[in-house]
Amino acid sequence: MLICKDLTKSFDKELFSNFNLELKPGEIVAITGPSGCGKTTLLRCICGLEDLDSGDLLLEGRDISTLNAEERGIGLIFQKAVLYPHLNVEGNLRLGNKKGDITNALVEVGMEGFEERRVESLSGGEGQRVSLARALLAKPKVLLLDEPFSSLDEELSRRLVSDVRSILKERKCPAILVTHNKNIAENFADYVISL
Amino acid sequence: MNIKFSNVCAFLAYTLLVILPLWLAVDRLVWVAGFDPSAWISSLENNYISQGVIEFTFYQALISTIVTMAIGLPIAWQLGRYKWPLQSVVKAILTVPFVMPSIVAAMGFLYIVGKAGLDIRVDESTWFATLIIAHAWFNMALIIRFCEPVLSTLDPKLEEQMRLLPAGNTKYGRFRNLWLPLLAPSIAAAACMTFVFSFTSFALVRWITLGDNTLESVMAGVGSSAGIEGYMISRNEIVLGSSMIQFTILLISLFLMSWLQQKRQNLLPQASEVIVKKRNPKGWAIIGIGVLFSLSPLIAVLLASFRIRNTDSSGTNYSWDTSGWEFAFTSSNSISSAWEALFNSLGYAAITLIIAVPLGWILAQTIIDVEKSRPRLARTLDVLTMLPFAISSVMIGLGVMLGMIRIDAEFFYSFWPTPALAHIMITTPFVVRIMLPALRSIEPAYDECAKTLGITKWRRFTEIKLPLLKGSILVATIFTLAMSLGEFGASWVVTRNSDWTTLPVMIDSLRSIPYKNSLTAPAACAVSSVLMGITLILFTWAEKFRSARDGGMF
Amino acid sequence: MNKLTLMAIFVTFNLMISGCLSSKIDQDDAENPSEYEWEDDGELVIVTYDVYGLTDEMLTQFETETGYEITLLKLDDAGSILDHLLQHKGLQVADLAIGLDNTYLQTAIDNNVLWEHFAELENISESVLEPYNGPLAAPFDHGYICLNYDSEIVDGENYTVPESLWDLTEDEWKGKIAIPSPETSSPGRAFMTATTDYFSNDQDNETEWTDWWSEMSSNEVIITTGWSEAYETRYTGGYGEWTDGYVGDAHIVLSYCHSPGVESWYNGNWTKSVALDIPGSSFHQVEYAAAIQGGNLDAASSFIEYLLSSEVNSKMPVENSMYSVLEGSDLPEENGYKFHSVVPQDPASISSTAIAENMETWLKQWNSAMVDG
Repeated sequence: MLICKDLTKSFDKELFSNFNLELKPGEIVAITGPSGCGKTTLLRCICGLEDLDSGDLLLEGRDISTLNAEERGIGLIFQKAVLYPHLNVEGNLRLGNKKGDITNALVEVGMEGFEERRVESLSGGEGQRVSLARALLAKPKVLLLDEPFSSLDEELSRRLVSDVRSILKERKCPAILVTHNKNIAENFADYVISL
Repeated sequence: MNIKFSNVCAFLAYTLLVILPLWLAVDRLVWVAGFDPSAWISSLENNYISQGVIEFTFYQALISTIVTMAIGLPIAWQLGRYKWPLQSVVKAILTVPFVMPSIVAAMGFLYIVGKAGLDIRVDESTWFATLIIAHAWFNMALIIRFCEPVLSTLDPKLEEQMRLLPAGNTKYGRFRNLWLPLLAPSIAAAACMTFVFSFTSFALVRWITLGDNTLESVMAGVGSSAGIEGYMISRNEIVLGSSMIQFTILLISLFLMSWLQQKRQNLLPQASEVIVKKRNPKGWAIIGIGVLFSLSPLIAVLLASFRIRNTDSSGTNYSWDTSGWEFAFTSSNSISSAWEALFNSLGYAAITLIIAVPLGWILAQTIIDVEKSRPRLARTLDVLTMLPFAISSVMIGLGVMLGMIRIDAEFFYSFWPTPALAHIMITTPFVVRIMLPALRSIEPAYDECAKTLGITKWRRFTEIKLPLLKGSILVATIFTLAMSLGEFGASWVVTRNSDWTTLPVMIDSLRSIPYKNSLTAPAACAVSSVLMGITLILFTWAEKFRSARDGGMF
Repeated sequence: MNKLTLMAIFVTFNLMISGCLSSKIDQDDAENPSEYEWEDDGELVIVTYDVYGLTDEMLTQFETETGYEITLLKLDDAGSILDHLLQHKGLQVADLAIGLDNTYLQTAIDNNVLWEHFAELENISESVLEPYNGPLAAPFDHGYICLNYDSEIVDGENYTVPESLWDLTEDEWKGKIAIPSPETSSPGRAFMTATTDYFSNDQDNETEWTDWWSEMSSNEVIITTGWSEAYETRYTGGYGEWTDGYVGDAHIVLSYCHSPGVESWYNGNWTKSVALDIPGSSFHQVEYAAAIQGGNLDAASSFIEYLLSSEVNSKMPVENSMYSVLEGSDLPEENGYKFHSVVPQDPASISSTAIAENMETWLKQWNSAMVDG
């Protein structure tokens, strides 16, 4: 599905070199490592927000390393939910898919009836649920998650981890999670690798 | 990150439109007068035409600043600390003078102190006082805009705690130990701006004081003979000396301002206005006087446009009719009609808008783009875009005039948009200042997140960036329009060798015509009323988009 | 692209443009009429100031008669006209200058900014041609510049009527006299010129004309930018008191010897303003229309001819508050116009060439006299 071959990136110091990964359809992987080791940068490189120094990226057999981020079909959930303040929840979701089924997408993430809410009024966990719904509406071939649970309290984080996992599994959407929290990594992913 | 093509283009355009004319003007003046700054300054003192002008400019600016504080602070206090019915209307009325074209204010104050009004325009002391009051009228909005947000949102717990401490158990003690330190940066910033505006005042000095000049009005007066080889060399020195002093003073003020702005941004504990504000029936006296003060020159202008003087052998009497308006809107060979002036003014404002807003925006974006990778380049560009702030509008006008004479006079004199160039030079730096914080407030993650959702570049611009910037763009737009429409100093210098006219220039020429024709003064007031009306509409519109907490001056 | 390259681009760019411009200013001045080259584009651009004589009816009539389209560029004063001509030398911006007087004309001629017109002038009175009689400029109106006083205040009791210029340096006139600046106004310039002559002809050999100005400066003489500010804003004796912005702190003002006549004409044979004919202190001012180098000479010449036709020029006293230049013309008698006007007995006499030669020096001397005073 997604093949990362010899990915290398340095910025002042070396962040990662010769990183290899093969992600199979529907598979969920977690990458752990201490903060500052380049986990976030790795995800940003995979989805195209940053350029790799060297290495190949193949998605469904196609080389995507030269494509712009918006052309790669890879979704990313940021550490802190990115919601646009000039739009309400529905408007934010429409950015993912203009004609998508908003009601259903909200039901799926457990946010039924939140369409008209202003994004400032959402809590951290609610925000992450909305951004997950939005990312899924865009129908990514792979979803990347950059510590989306780290800013939440333990109870909430645990619930969200299992919710997100089951949604992804249901949709057979392959995903890569990076986190420094081994517990979360183990609960969320099929297998864990460390960077 | 690489510098984009559009960024380079924007800075080239900026150099060509803004820096080049100024460069050409200074180059020419120095070529005629020789490079000798001390001779420039002494020329100011050794010429009867400019003798004492340095002292007068400083003196009146200083007094204006003090009086503005004295008038503005009580109003800001009442407005900020207490609850008023029609609060937003009252605030709008009190701050509208700041955006009024200075020539409109000049007409209003002349009428108030003149024969038809208080009839106190008898000697130098009264017209000096008139000038000072007029400057206070203009700039009190600065005090209100700078201080009111601090006053209206400061958490009342701070004052409550202070009441219980020995240092704050008296009104004076609380003023001394709480309010003064908290407000000081805001007051100082407002004072700084007031000083700058009074220092470079032109239309008011031109019409209200006689004999006394500011550096700005002296420059305007001798500017027509500047830049001619071997002719009236001292006048070139006067222009150079004046602009050098202005440049220095304005530069110092700019630095002071930005330093104070940073201090102002220290976060104070805030509470909602609803909690902070109480009723204060006695304060109505102050607010009422303020509102009256704010409105009176505007009402005076409107009234004066209908008041017609009839002088015959039996003496002088006055009647009320619309013949001044008819006169203003009728075209003749010697005076173009107000329709033409209105058309030109709106046209120049539109051109200014179309060029200055995108240009200022791209310049601001460029500064932000290079900030991370090349901080020093960013700072250089930042200073470069502020440069025109330190140059007065008359000097900008001279820049355009001498620039166009040197490049291709025949082309520029037949090129109708030429005067808009001066307006672009004046407004672009303001657009940069408005857009910079707005662009900074947009998180990079907004764009990145949209990319990962597969949204195209065009849609990211139209559906995300544009809506997020909407408020600032509108403020910049309205501000650019208002400034261009009311601009007088530079337009006056640029258009006087041509037959183009704008509303402010037309008001000036109507007033300059000897008064044998009793309709010229009412006609000047009629044109002023038109300008005032347009400005009021723009101002009311801008109020809608101003965010309540920004506390900025615009 | 790094910062240095960027800066380098800006700088070279600026240098390129400013460098290639400096050379463009001087052009060969055609001095021989046969070398003149111009194009009659059907337009006439007139540089002038508030010359009331250029009324709408008159301009429109010219446009219909000749088919030319007129554009007026109105500047502040005669000095600005000269500035404009020098500033735009060699650039075809305007065709005709109206309002240079005999204190400015020679400077314009010396700087080669004028062309010989080919209007046929007839019937011009000799005295008007005295300051300049040549093809580079045509006189269109004239008048005498002298002091006026408010006879309601200066009645011989509270104030003595001055008999010499030195009288004006007396204490009673402190801050009560308004004179337009010679630096910015043509009447002011004319009066300063007259004072140079006045004090070289007086009995007293000890003092110079500049001493008088120094004394005047210490006596707080009000120097105004232009004639309007002196006459309308400062002077108590004229129609200024009915205008907005009026201050009224001067009882003596520099204006024309026929200004009281103009007052009387508009007030129905009444005025309190009186012309003060101090021998040797008045100045004969002639105003000119002149074709501008490089402009449309056809249009300029035909306008000059029109301006000097008896139909138009005879209206000068009424329309323009100045004398007509035509032989045998005079001010109208109605409403006391002529009665209240004075033709000075003994105006100062200085040749135009002397004026042009000395003007810059005089202005410098005047300037230092005023600064020191």
